[in-house]
Amino acid sequence: MNKWLKILLILIAIGIVAAVLVYKFYINKPHPDFEKLPADFKLKAEVLYNEYVKDKAAAGLKYNGKIIEISGKIAKTESTDTLVVATFVFKQGDFGDEGIRCTMLPKYNVETKQIASGTEVKIKGFCSGFNDTDVIIEKASPVKE
Amino acid sequence: MKLLIKIAIILVMITGNVFAQKYLTKNGKISFFSDAPAEKIEAHNNQVNTALDITTGEFVFKVLIKSFEFKNALMQEHFNENYLESGKYPNSTFKGKVTNLSEINFTKNGTYKANVEGDLTIHGVTQKIKQSGFFEVKDGKISANSKFSVALKDYDIKIPNTVISNIAENIEITVNVSLEAIK
Repeated sequence: MNKWLKILLILIAIGIVAAVLVYKFYINKPHPDFEKLPADFKLKAEVLYNEYVKDKAAAGLKYNGKIIEISGKIAKTESTDTLVVATFVFKQGDFGDEGIRCTMLPKYNVETKQIASGTEVKIKGFCSGFNDTDVIIEKASPVKE
Repeated sequence: MKLLIKIAIILVMITGNVFAQKYLTKNGKISFFSDAPAEKIEAHNNQVNTALDITTGEFVFKVLIKSFEFKNALMQEHFNENYLESGKYPNSTFKGKVTNLSEINFTKNGTYKANVEGDLTIHGVTQKIKQSGFFEVKDGKISANSKFSVALKDYDIKIPNTVISNIAENIEITVNVSLEAIK
């Protein structure tokens, strides 16, 4: 086979492999496995909440989009048709409880619903931010020592 | 006398519940859908904080941009970092009022058309909007549903030329919230 044709075919093959890899690992990359990601911050739930209440912008820059592990006493758990939310309550506002809301990964829904109010827990998840009422943690999982 | 006081307290508690003024959910749903020539994109947010005061008609929505979930992780990343810039503008809000309150009976089961006006803030830009939807009242709970369009340019959301055929200029928003009385 002509030398230049061989080089061209090799380059095309490399191009195809590169395109497949870019598609698989970049364009079509999977969502993070939040349960396996290490926590960027570990702190008491009340400390996290108070930081947001004191200075929403500064706390947002620090914690929004990060993996946070919080510890504290569960106030209650709430359920919708698909979600189970573990709540830490630190204030009563005009529209009810205010604090931290942790939406659990579905595999932990049953287990979370059974947690009694007042139980000391550690929960890790993705911090979406503060909506002026609650700090929202999503894709949450219990931290088991 | 003690029995009368007890009956009076129970009656106040019952009527307080039936005619509660404020209704709330912290897990309302907002979805958006972009129908462009090259691609259809949708995202869902189940963390919508919604409050309704049925005596004044005040209606408030608070949405965290980072809570919108896309099927494609890269798209979610671009949505947050490039289009909505959620690092700078983490929240989107609607603060408004139901303008045809007299036509809605929140104490009687039924479906009622609702007209809403107020300020919608997305990407740090506030626009006055008027939209309509429906309240469904059933056994003391209120569901609110609406579907409307939002033009990205009205909120200074810039789409690069390279993906102009992948993202629609007008995005369809669907709101679906189930409110319960605050006890």
